[in-house]
Amino acid sequence: MSGTAMTKIVYKNIHLENSHTLAVYKANGGYQALEKALTLTGDDIIDEVKQSGIRGRGGAGFPAGLKWSFIPKDDRAKYLVCNADEGEPGTCKDRDILRYDPHLLIEGMIIAGYAVKAERGYIYIRGEFYREAERVQAAIDEAYAAGYLGDRVMGREVRFQLAIHRGGGAYVCGEETGLIESLEGKKGQPRLKPPFPANIGLYGGPTVINNVETLSSVPAIISNGGAWYGKLGVPKSSGTKLFSVSGHVNKPGNYEVELGLPMRVLLEEYAGGVRGGWDNLKGVIPGGSSTPVLTKSVCETVTMDYDALSRAGSMLGSGAVIVLDRSVCIVRAIARLSRFYRHESCGQCSPCREGTGWLAQVMERIEQGKGVQGDMDLLLSISENIQGKTICALGDAAAMPVVGAIKAFPEEFQYHVDHGRCMVA
Amino acid sequence: MPTLIVDGKEISVQPGATIMDAARLLGVYIPHFCYHPQLSIAGNCRMCLVEVEKMPKPVISCAMPVSDGMVVKTDSEMVRKARKAVMEFLLINHPLDCPVCDQGGECSLQDLAMKYGPDRSRYHEFKRHAHDYDLGPLVETEMSRCIHCTRCIRFSDEVAGVPEMGAVFRGDHMQVGPYVEKSLTSELSGNLPEVCPVGALNNKPFHFQARGWELKKSEGICAHCGVGCHVRVDHLNGQVKRLMARRCADINQSWICDKGRFAYDGLAQARLEQPVVRSESTYAREEVSWAAALDRTAELIKRFKPEEIAGLASDGVQGGEELFAFQDFLRHVVGTTDLDHRLRQRDFSGDEQPLTRADLLMNTPLTALGKADVVLLIGADPRFEVPLLNLRLREASLAGTRIFAIHPRQLKANLANFSQIVLQPGAEVAFLQGMLQALEGGAVAPEAAALVAAWQGAKRPLLLLGDYAVSHPQAETIRRLAVALLEKMSALGSEWNGFNRLASRGNGAAAQDMGVVPHRDPGYKRLERRGRNARQILQAAADGEIKLLLLLGCDPTLEGVDTRLGRAALAKAYVVYVGAHQTPAAMQADVVLPGLAITERDVTLTNVEGRAQRSSMAVMGPVQAKEDWRIFRALSDRFATPLSYNTREALRSRMAAADHRYALDDLEPGELSAACDHSPVTLGLPLEAGAGQAVAGQEAGLVLVLEPTFYQDDAVTRHSAILGQLAQGRSAAVGSLRINPQDAARQKVQAGQSVRLIHGERSLECVAALDAAVPVGAVFGDMGQAAVLMQDLCDWEGGFPRVSLVGL
Repeated sequence: MSGTAMTKIVYKNIHLENSHTLAVYKANGGYQALEKALTLTGDDIIDEVKQSGIRGRGGAGFPAGLKWSFIPKDDRAKYLVCNADEGEPGTCKDRDILRYDPHLLIEGMIIAGYAVKAERGYIYIRGEFYREAERVQAAIDEAYAAGYLGDRVMGREVRFQLAIHRGGGAYVCGEETGLIESLEGKKGQPRLKPPFPANIGLYGGPTVINNVETLSSVPAIISNGGAWYGKLGVPKSSGTKLFSVSGHVNKPGNYEVELGLPMRVLLEEYAGGVRGGWDNLKGVIPGGSSTPVLTKSVCETVTMDYDALSRAGSMLGSGAVIVLDRSVCIVRAIARLSRFYRHESCGQCSPCREGTGWLAQVMERIEQGKGVQGDMDLLLSISENIQGKTICALGDAAAMPVVGAIKAFPEEFQYHVDHGRCMVA
Repeated sequence: MPTLIVDGKEISVQPGATIMDAARLLGVYIPHFCYHPQLSIAGNCRMCLVEVEKMPKPVISCAMPVSDGMVVKTDSEMVRKARKAVMEFLLINHPLDCPVCDQGGECSLQDLAMKYGPDRSRYHEFKRHAHDYDLGPLVETEMSRCIHCTRCIRFSDEVAGVPEMGAVFRGDHMQVGPYVEKSLTSELSGNLPEVCPVGALNNKPFHFQARGWELKKSEGICAHCGVGCHVRVDHLNGQVKRLMARRCADINQSWICDKGRFAYDGLAQARLEQPVVRSESTYAREEVSWAAALDRTAELIKRFKPEEIAGLASDGVQGGEELFAFQDFLRHVVGTTDLDHRLRQRDFSGDEQPLTRADLLMNTPLTALGKADVVLLIGADPRFEVPLLNLRLREASLAGTRIFAIHPRQLKANLANFSQIVLQPGAEVAFLQGMLQALEGGAVAPEAAALVAAWQGAKRPLLLLGDYAVSHPQAETIRRLAVALLEKMSALGSEWNGFNRLASRGNGAAAQDMGVVPHRDPGYKRLERRGRNARQILQAAADGEIKLLLLLGCDPTLEGVDTRLGRAALAKAYVVYVGAHQTPAAMQADVVLPGLAITERDVTLTNVEGRAQRSSMAVMGPVQAKEDWRIFRALSDRFATPLSYNTREALRSRMAAADHRYALDDLEPGELSAACDHSPVTLGLPLEAGAGQAVAGQEAGLVLVLEPTFYQDDAVTRHSAILGQLAQGRSAAVGSLRINPQDAARQKVQAGQSVRLIHGERSLECVAALDAAVPVGAVFGDMGQAAVLMQDLCDWEGGFPRVSLVGL
């Protein structure tokens, strides 16, 4: 693979003028996938999506087709929820879909709703995405007027109602059960699992929750077939992925590439190279703020897919590639993230409520030069004590960057403790 | 049924049960904070993590449903490590103030910290401080100790039905408290300190009173309403320090109400401590020896003919033993048949009918209330009459039971699925007759349409007659109509009997059982020669026909329907007062024989279901006070035929012989006697209206309805300073006249204004309070408030008085 033009699926229209309008969308093949999908049965669609191998693009990477197939075939009202609460620091990929191609998402949602027999869908949009919410609402209005949404989708006996809900700005509402609570009008606190949303979700009904990017990939999968999509990318990480490259690169931005692309190619050929050249690279946080940082030596060879990053000790996550060059104090960077997680912990369960606060305070102390010997062990111990004991993954998300940074850059932490100041700045 | 292995022990449990449930069945203790068997699962403390084979991470046992073949380890290395981790997190911001914390010694956090906590802290940052709230007179807060288990929030939302507690803010800034600082209004708020696993919410009256481990604990039964909740009486140096709920699945589950919990400080107040006799020559009252007091009483009794002597007993906080001895003494030693306990009852026409226990008590056990599909509350305000019964109704209503109420006042109900029909006082009989006719195919009044439709579709209808219905001028007609409504639905059988009459005062059921009524012996044996009822006794005493009144814990100048008549009776007749607390009647009695309070003796109490239970002695009473039944026993020695029992055991076997439901000696420890052990309901009584009396006079004016004040309803609660502080769960102050704003505007009366209430030649000054819950055309007042005795305006006959108002 190289930096040559790759298949674009999710971002294929966003360069077009007025790409957010129904007219432009239709002129570029929009809603043809829906037309095709309505000739298939729901199970056929789920099989197609399973065959495509697409994994959830929100961060956890759970196979989407499998998730859909968990919806029980009973008489209860089912719900489809799109998670557009894009809050993971570093991530801004969904925003461009909402902004420039909302009909792609709507089409994907109608197909998904038809597949799992959900007649009602919600798009939970991050509170800060005010203009995006307006755009999506306008697109929904267009879709209703054109008969894609409503009691008779494209004139058939298929119902699909779609509404948007703006969040209140809590990171934890991006967690699917926290999102459901918030959507139901309650305080955004994740639920205990089991039961999983596929069985008891929104308003107690079976619920599918997918990320914007996942749902926006569905029309292409239906149009071209799951097998076609499965051939993109690499085995077990099929298809294309949006990467939000930020930090110390010359051309930060959103890039859609096939999974399995070497990170170095992504940074050098797409994102314009690391500021000051490749050798100025210190490390990369490859999948959003909760994923452990990778050192330069790992970045040399690692490829951008679920398994390779996992083997490298990190995660693909939401695809937010945060590039850190040598000017960065890793302690300070991670302390900032810890403060974020302390602020965003919902406070419900003990390890996360107390642990994120403790982590942030110790990180801040070290950063300020007030660390003491043993603080690194303390941080590792607190992190270990949080991980795997919380209601949702936020506790893990808070612990992982700390652990990752201490493992990758122990000398920087030690320097802070020993000298009371930073070795970089 | 899935089978799993917990710590090597195999057990089969119901599908859907959790690992915690299975462990509890096996007797395996899993440490926890947020889990409470009666609350929903929150799963937030993470203390109950256990290891399940084939699962990569520890799981919380309180929420994880079991599956077949699960292998659970509750004490493996992984589990111990996880618990230590959680424990450390809970402790880092918890103040180290156990030595001054009320919870110290009975604190889950303290206990588990001893087992899993680190011996020193790794936390060197500043500890978090949380804002403390003033939650009123019952609950004291120290929110820095809060571990955010949300038990108090879940209790308020789910059990009490008054969502007064919540959590604000996020992360380690999260704070539990009322959203807006205010007094708690729930009648169950005293349970909050009890569900709190740490010392964040404390029992305010108990604050700094004693340490948990110093307290001696006795098992008691609450006597302040008819539910008969199980309580634990904690006492130190002969003083009751606090009451706690004692779990009883069949009655009070895990809770008790604030009235029962906080009445204890009235126990030691204003006690009768020494026998007192009024000198016949000087009229001065003097403290005398027991022998002299008993001699004087015997002399008085011998001076008059048996028909010139009568007895009135309280059904409040008197035990079954003394009620039995009281009637035994009056009937068989004195030889009178004039005795009663029903001072609040207006309509005695039921006495002429062969009514039995089933007609007078509940027929649906508390545990079966939830099976009802439609409930009709007639003149009942269960939330402020029998709070723990109300919890059962609330549970049922949340599960879908439809609940209707007819009551003249808009109820402050905390029930789901609830609708009320507000009727003018006196419209009840016509309404129920209309409902009965509608069930027979007649026309349906629009306001009754939903009720009639629901009633017709009900499989297990349930009916509850409350305080207002029992004290109604047409109480017997209402009772018969209620029976007829159930008979229509075939709901009076042995499978399902939906007829329930609340004897809502403490021991009203025992007073009925023990025959403290003029027409029955104990065990519901009807008497040929019927004596005079409460009203007739007082009237006869006021007329000079009855010359001696024997009062057992009962004060007709405070408690009767007509306190003016009570005063007239006591002014004319000689009075012998037996009881524990000072009341106006006791302070003017010719002889006072001091008895013991409820916590100072072993006593039998019978609840609304007719379940007899024994409450044990906790503390000693005043030195000279005697167990009440022993007073009658000693008194009877001065007569030809003394009472035959010398010990409590002998008395109890006499009671058991009279009524088999009092044979409690055969019960296993912890076993309860049967509920609703009686049947059938008497059928076939005529239903014509007016069997009782006129409901209200015909003259112009507002109908005056008086209600007992929930928190000040008997000798103990009236003397409780803690309960005196409570806002009664309603807006108006105690003793004020509650009037509808429309009526108030018409009468040109403002809130807080003094008004004169006029009824015929009588009048009374009180303060008006505007209350939209009161219907137009009626005014409501409190019973039994010595400061404003509104019963002075009432007559026993003639129904509710009509009063006119003059603003002052």
